[in-house]
Amino acid sequence: MIPSSPFLCVITDEALCPVTLAEEALKGGAAMIQLRHKTASGSQLFSWAVEIRKLCRQYQALCIINDRVDIAMASEADGVHLGQEDIPALAARKLLGSNFIIGISASSVDEAVQAEKDGADYIGFGHIYPTISKLKEHAPLGSDMLRHVTSRLSVPVVAIGGISIENAGLLISCGASGVAVISAVSRAEEPSRAACELLHALKKGMP
Amino acid sequence: MKYKKLLTTPLPRLFMISSGEADTDKGTLLFNQLNLLPESLPCMVQIREKRLAARELLILTERARAIKLPAGSLLLCNERMDIALAAGLEGVHLPEGACRPDRLRTVAPVLIFGCSIHSLASLRIAEEKAADYLLFGPIFDTPSKRKYGAPQGLEKLGEICRATSLPVFALGGITPQNAALCMDKGAYGTAGLSIFCDTLRLAETLEQFYRILYP
Repeated sequence: MIPSSPFLCVITDEALCPVTLAEEALKGGAAMIQLRHKTASGSQLFSWAVEIRKLCRQYQALCIINDRVDIAMASEADGVHLGQEDIPALAARKLLGSNFIIGISASSVDEAVQAEKDGADYIGFGHIYPTISKLKEHAPLGSDMLRHVTSRLSVPVVAIGGISIENAGLLISCGASGVAVISAVSRAEEPSRAACELLHALKKGMP
Repeated sequence: MKYKKLLTTPLPRLFMISSGEADTDKGTLLFNQLNLLPESLPCMVQIREKRLAARELLILTERARAIKLPAGSLLLCNERMDIALAAGLEGVHLPEGACRPDRLRTVAPVLIFGCSIHSLASLRIAEEKAADYLLFGPIFDTPSKRKYGAPQGLEKLGEICRATSLPVFALGGITPQNAALCMDKGAYGTAGLSIFCDTLRLAETLEQFYRILYP
């Protein structure tokens, strides 16, 4: 099930080997790895997923696959993370049953509330701050919006977008159960240390 | 353990691939094609719309599924087993580079999994990973595949067909005029994309193919 708060989710970086990055992130204490790669072939994704799942088991962390429910099923990952353009949560739940974790991306309160209704196990909410990792169509949501959305939902909220050691604690104090990062870990000089420091910063935000 | 699927009816010998234009035409051509399939002529239909995101693809696929197809027809989608399962399709067509069919089959034992192959080496891999059928090409010159170099030709098709007991569909520039040459080389059936896009002539084209594929 969803890791206890506060937790760190590290999303793989398309420019780096996802397995190497996952291992570094897990060493640093990440409790969730999301394999996200929009251009890799299915067989490549599948082998990465199998490797990352193995590592995650070792570290008692969760292996989540972005978008590809088929790859998550075939690799026996712990769950999927679905955006608003991916397979709808209801359809994914029918395929996956209740044991798989389904995370849904939401960039508004309405989307988040709907995702919870549709049976999401957690909501990825963002982007909270400006970010270079993904091109964004809307303005950053900010921490007040995060506070608002967490007050409306009962499922865990994972804050995403522009998260750093400086702001991570604040987001937890706004009610987020965890944060998801790409570049804050992947582009750090020592990814495992960056993950460890982020986790430390998250803990400082706990009430 | 090698898994051998027990098909209750043989695969249709004609294989229609969707145009790939559903992002611009909202699936109109695909739905037209499906509605125009003559009642007595079973067909393999592969929904291959790589420009659609998964949500749109699922909607398109569900709409295609709702169309009644000739008895014995099989509706497949490209690569995405999740979409095939969610929409209740019969199978999945796997391009080279897709996830291995044997691993997908453990999750979805009822689906048919076919593989695109382009060489004897990829034939061996597809066999080892328990594909149900193979799609081999391009056999003849076809504008969409020119960037990949010269076509494979009929001799290569014969080589592939002799090397496997799996059904091989020949793809690439196949017309009712040259389909018999592919069958003579041992192909199980023929596949096409653009030749089926002219819906005004579709019924006639299909019937011409059927006379050759089911002599």
